[in-house]
Amino acid sequence: MAEGFPIAFLFFAGAALLFALPKGKARAALLLAVPIIAGLMVWSLPEGNLWSARLIGIELEFMRVDRLSRIFALIFTLAAFLGNLYAWHVKDTVQQVAALVYAGSAIGAVFAGDLITLFLYWEGTAIASVFLIWARRTEGAYHTGMRYLIVQIGSGVLLLAGAALYHRETGSLEFQAMTLGSLGTWLIFIAFGIKCAFPLLHNWLQDAYPAATVTGTVILSAFTTKLAVYSLARGFPGTEILVYIGAIMTLFPIFYAVIENDLRRVLAYSLNNQLGFMVVGVGIGTELSLNGTASHAFAHILYKALLFMSVGAVLFRTGTAKGSELGGLYKTMPLTMIFCVVGAASISAFPLFSGFISKSLILSAATHDGYYVVWAILLFASAGVFHHSGIKIPYFAFFAHDSGLRPKEAPTHMLLAMGITAFLCIAIGAFPAPLYAILPYEVDYVPYTTTHVVTQLQLLFFSALAFTVLMRTGIYPPELKSVNLDADWTYRRFLPDLIGRLSGLIARFWGAKMRFWLRRRDQIVSRLFQEYGPEGRVAQSITTGSMVLWIAVFLGITLIVNFVS
Amino acid sequence: MAKVKPSNDDPTRYPALGRSLLFLEKKENVDRVVYGLYILCAGLFVADFIYYKHVYLGIEEFPGFYALYGFVMCAMLVICAKAMRLVLKRPESYYAPDDVESEDYPEEQLERVDNDG
Repeated sequence: MAEGFPIAFLFFAGAALLFALPKGKARAALLLAVPIIAGLMVWSLPEGNLWSARLIGIELEFMRVDRLSRIFALIFTLAAFLGNLYAWHVKDTVQQVAALVYAGSAIGAVFAGDLITLFLYWEGTAIASVFLIWARRTEGAYHTGMRYLIVQIGSGVLLLAGAALYHRETGSLEFQAMTLGSLGTWLIFIAFGIKCAFPLLHNWLQDAYPAATVTGTVILSAFTTKLAVYSLARGFPGTEILVYIGAIMTLFPIFYAVIENDLRRVLAYSLNNQLGFMVVGVGIGTELSLNGTASHAFAHILYKALLFMSVGAVLFRTGTAKGSELGGLYKTMPLTMIFCVVGAASISAFPLFSGFISKSLILSAATHDGYYVVWAILLFASAGVFHHSGIKIPYFAFFAHDSGLRPKEAPTHMLLAMGITAFLCIAIGAFPAPLYAILPYEVDYVPYTTTHVVTQLQLLFFSALAFTVLMRTGIYPPELKSVNLDADWTYRRFLPDLIGRLSGLIARFWGAKMRFWLRRRDQIVSRLFQEYGPEGRVAQSITTGSMVLWIAVFLGITLIVNFVS
Repeated sequence: MAKVKPSNDDPTRYPALGRSLLFLEKKENVDRVVYGLYILCAGLFVADFIYYKHVYLGIEEFPGFYALYGFVMCAMLVICAKAMRLVLKRPESYYAPDDVESEDYPEEQLERVDNDG
């Protein structure tokens, strides 16, 4: 195959080829083959702008390959492979096509060298991914999908508007590091921010991910948000506001995660929190911190997929992912439990697990650059993420009170997908050198020092101690069937209510106005009727007969005048 | 799926790995795990005094800083979250009747296993 052939097209071709194959194993095998071929291609790509096309007078760069785009493309192909392996049993063509087109679009966007190509793939990810939500085919999922689509398309529209303004300002459409300042760059920034789930723009994530199918959520968790992180790292490295946005992002979701009942939504909140770390890394903008962002994105995609896989397997076997309904599943799903614990240890950054060697780069960068408060927040968020993702997820799903559910162990292909992902999480954590070697910049960082290991273990085990003490004293909030209000309340409740009230008010005002004028009209008509009606004053003095007489007289006069002249 | 605890549950039908973890059923074994955690925490706290801590910030030099920070912040996190629940908690059908319900799962996917003795 020609060098530099756009890898996204491979996925689209795969999606088209899918229809030619019979349903079943052949299709599932194709879904695995495409990411493998793509991954090998990405691995061997040389750097540079490899493939461009002209469209309506604009030069589109489809394959801008450098170290930053390559590492993201690599993890995306890996995530697509693992997600498709996990979804081996799925026979639903909609989901299979969506998974391929979605992964292809995300990889295409990562390689986009200009803003228009980025926009095309940006919308591609939005449109393809919504089908993974709709594929659940429930009423709730339909509405959630609609909300998700509106938000995602909105982000794309902002990106396009921003790109147009940016082109007018600079005359260039190249997707490169920008400085915030003009309207164009701000629009692009907000477009990225929506997809990256910035605070107050974040709720589409917690809304949509728990609503997708079992396998759909695993695939969703990998691409959209990490594409946004990549775009920020490419477009706005060193933009200081990102440090603070990222710090807030790490902070508030952990509170929600503690009281959330749906375990997949807990994971969506912790995903949001992990994105915060990456955004802080982009904001600091040093080589160390950008390496931290890239490596954390790499590690994060794997352990987050692993966690979604294990909770998904529970959902697959029991039909629910609510903490209040689950518990005691370790007895019959022990392997899933172990894989879940590996994912939990990785996200919590236990030594020898992947989070440990990636998150610490960002924390170190924060101290090196003097962001001490941000560092303290990140440390708190690290403890907090262990608390709700590391302990809460495995505890309430597999231990806690016995729910009486005795589901069968997850299917073999799911166990295999989880096993490979868990292996990678541990391999990266124990031997970080290969990951460090493919980071965007030279790495001069040693994660395994006595101080780092001991302090991290202290942080984590004392967080566990806090959980244990609160649990045993009964202070820990129980899992309850409930939803918690978040920023989406504004557009799901407040604005519809406001619009409803306003329209009621306007309707009442309009009604009153109409009634007033109708009354006036009626009054005028009845007054006229009184004056000129059969019983009216005018009608009393002048009879019909006299009018006929006068008409006859006038007619006669007219005839005479006509005749004489 | 039935939510009541199966009355005639036969643990010998569980997977071997699951059976090997059944010691967690007994309260005294859970207590042992918890005591193990206490001892581990105490050991980690003491460890701070017996090695050279190579740190950047003054606050990190404080003995047991990470341990105390982790414990206090997590306790605060849970208590704050619990307080938030008073304000933010709503019934599941708050937004729409079937908002958070999952679809009916095809019976063959559940692959129910009979653990009855």
